[in-house]
Amino acid sequence: MSGEGWAAKIRAISWALAALLVAGSLWMAAHAPLEVQMGIVQKIIYIHVPSATAAITAFFVTFMASIVYLVSGRNWRWDAIAVSSCEVGMVFSAIVLVTGPLWARSAWNTWWTWEPRLTSFLIMWILYGGYFLIRSSVGSGSRRDVSAVLGVILFVSVIITYMSVTWWRGSLHPKSVTMVPEMRGVLSISIIAWLVFYAAAFQERFRLETLRHAAESGEDAR
Amino acid sequence: MTALRVLAKDLKLHARDARFLATLSLFSLSLVLILSVAFGPLFRDPAREASATLWAALFFAGVLGLTRALDLESESGGGEALRLTGADPFSVYAGKAMANLLLMGALWVLLLPCASVFFDIGSLRVFPALAGVAVLALIGYAAWGTLFAALARGLKARELLLSILLFPTLLPLWIGAVKLTHSLWAEGSIDAVRDWVKVMVVVDVLGIALAAWLYETIQEAGE
Repeated sequence: MSGEGWAAKIRAISWALAALLVAGSLWMAAHAPLEVQMGIVQKIIYIHVPSATAAITAFFVTFMASIVYLVSGRNWRWDAIAVSSCEVGMVFSAIVLVTGPLWARSAWNTWWTWEPRLTSFLIMWILYGGYFLIRSSVGSGSRRDVSAVLGVILFVSVIITYMSVTWWRGSLHPKSVTMVPEMRGVLSISIIAWLVFYAAAFQERFRLETLRHAAESGEDAR
Repeated sequence: MTALRVLAKDLKLHARDARFLATLSLFSLSLVLILSVAFGPLFRDPAREASATLWAALFFAGVLGLTRALDLESESGGGEALRLTGADPFSVYAGKAMANLLLMGALWVLLLPCASVFFDIGSLRVFPALAGVAVLALIGYAAWGTLFAALARGLKARELLLSILLFPTLLPLWIGAVKLTHSLWAEGSIDAVRDWVKVMVVVDVLGIALAAWLYETIQEAGE
């Protein structure tokens, strides 16, 4: 079988696996024990936390790929990995920003509050939006270098977001979640499922970036 | 030495551009005025409102100063000449950052008395501590601002792009500056919010460290 044939198979398998796992995790979430105070709204956590994990993972991949791009001879593939992961991370972050207020309305009686984790997450999302704005504004000659520099610098915002509940007092987000074992099990499976979903979306986006590179440079993308 | 020469060059460019400096001063003054009118005429917490107004005006006006320095350099061909000298990129960055720091410092000196008068607050006793807060905040602003301005050099709508990157990144610095200034104006000391000094120092050091690592790449990308 040709290289392209294998790649297509791997893509199909990873999407099938991601769909199966996400569907399975949602089914398990629907059948997980009901939280007494919040009721059905608490089940948002099975989407909210896994999306946040996938988003942070995506931005970490962007950070690492940007460093490797800068220190290892400016190979375009590392730039493609960085931008692909960042774009997927933006989508997962958007899911977090939509599901967060739904949770907040029920738990804290407000759609939005300026507490450290919420605020820093929104700032992180805006900053990574800036990554794409700058990338699309820079000429093709320096686009990869500028993007890599941003990929490194902007990771500071991810660290601040992650550590915000520790560094600032008055955070409504808990440092760790206390749950019954059944709920914790479902949450763990959901996180794994959404990480596989991220991997599938990432490799699809990376394929597009590879094709774009081939179209622009005339090189063989494989 | 190179850094001081770059600093002298940038200051000379600014000095020749008196009309821009006058515009920048008036723009920042009008920001303070607008915000003081919006909060007034009867202020609930003048120390808090004045400190927020002072730092908001400084940060917004500062963006114009950051991009202007690079525009002037492009117009005069100074940037290209600087690269041809083979000067150490970090020294070039340091010179530019110091020029931006001095420009922002001059704006702070202009806006501080205006905010004090408009909000009827402040005393000379806390001035040295206020100056210390300003140095901490403006070092970070100049360090990160020079880095991001170099990234956004030559782009369309660079002021907007710069703002999108700079303001969220510097939010810890801005909050720290506002809290410390507020504490000094309201209580005469920073005891209650002392931790923010550490946050601001971390932001300052991080900006300089990232610039030391990445400025050469940014300079090469701009060529």
